[in-house]
Amino acid sequence: MNYTFQFGEVMAELPYLLGGALVTLQIVFFTFFLGAALGLMGALGKVYGPTPLRKVISAYVIFITNTPALVQIFVLYYALPDAGILLSSMAAVLIGLTLNSTAYLTEIIRAGVVSVRQAEMDAAIGLNMTRLQILRYVMLPHIAKTIFAPLSNFFIWLMLGSSIAALFGVEELTGRAINVSSVNLRTIETFSVVAVIYIGLTLIASMSLALLGRFAFRVKARVF
Amino acid sequence: MFERLLFEAPDFFTYHNVVFLLEAAARTLGMTLIGCTVGFIAGLLIAVLRQSANPWTLPLRVIAIAYVETFRRIPFLVIIFIVLYAIQPLLEDASLLTIATIAICLVSTAFLSEIVRAGLESVPKQQIEGARTLNFGAARTLWYVVLPQAWRVILPPAIAFAVMFIKDTSLASHIGVVELTFSGKMFVNRGFSPLLGFGAVLVLYFLLSYPLSRLGTYLEKRLDPSRRS
Repeated sequence: MNYTFQFGEVMAELPYLLGGALVTLQIVFFTFFLGAALGLMGALGKVYGPTPLRKVISAYVIFITNTPALVQIFVLYYALPDAGILLSSMAAVLIGLTLNSTAYLTEIIRAGVVSVRQAEMDAAIGLNMTRLQILRYVMLPHIAKTIFAPLSNFFIWLMLGSSIAALFGVEELTGRAINVSSVNLRTIETFSVVAVIYIGLTLIASMSLALLGRFAFRVKARVF
Repeated sequence: MFERLLFEAPDFFTYHNVVFLLEAAARTLGMTLIGCTVGFIAGLLIAVLRQSANPWTLPLRVIAIAYVETFRRIPFLVIIFIVLYAIQPLLEDASLLTIATIAICLVSTAFLSEIVRAGLESVPKQQIEGARTLNFGAARTLWYVVLPQAWRVILPPAIAFAVMFIKDTSLASHIGVVELTFSGKMFVNRGFSPLLGFGAVLVLYFLLSYPLSRLGTYLEKRLDPSRRS
């Protein structure tokens, strides 16, 4: 075994790779926030909605969370053209990841909504608090405490999971790594550099989330 | 779209195709099982190592922490690529399945060691101090005092992780391991409609994953330590 590492050619492509990191971040933010908005609706529907709606949401969540995102996006990308819907690779990935984050975030937010105790709600009504006050002072602290850790874990998971976009030809961080390595043939070096970029991205994300949790929601979060 | 599906279904569900799909599903399940077993044992070792306060193991602990933090922060796809190209100079004739399994074990060790660590840390310190007072060694403390209490905390998230991992093995299809996702790709390449090929794959993934995730939620309720009387 004799292998000489050569990082020079990879380092020359660093700006291109970092541009890919930007695309990764765009994908993650888009799918996370859209998924969070839809997930909030899903969670409220699952807790307070009528029975048929609850069943539909449960079935959706169970189906999505028990099948791989990769195959779901395969179906979107390759099967929908049969029905006359042509999606670009980016659109297919964004829709697929949003479907996934909606399902996971529905479950996470539902756990938070359920964690508010009925006795505390009754007490708040007894104290003549308005709906807005109840939401702000009674429900939100509980919800924030319960969902913050799983929410930030999911954000990291999404950041790592967004790399499957590369398999559809989207030029995000992993996709650009594949491009670079197929030109310079320094695959180990290229992917090591990309791995370091991913570590950096997720570390920054974990730290910002921990700070956000500590100051905005008074949740003690650990980075390590 | 659906007419085509009905039209092709009799050709699709022939004996050999079904056997091929089931074999692929078995390969997916096998990779997950090996990954989770190896990951659990190695993860337990890492977690126990990280709990020890012996100054001699400090360098090992630093390596363990670095390993866990690195592999939890790299996408599985990137790890597969690195392992694929890094293994080949080391093991000349490693099969793709071996390479994928090695990548899976590397990742699952990192994630499961965190899950095991959370379980070990859930055991009150007084219990360990009590065991030390009774002159228990480290191994006996772990076996008789810590693990009997920690496994209730470890098992539900470990099963949730296995459910997650069944799905993550689909990425191994990219390097050409003939597992469930790859079999779907092969059917589509043979001319079956994508909805049929990938739909069958989705159903099989669901059949693998759903019973396990039901078991996970059941155990989570059943083993909840706060519910113990």
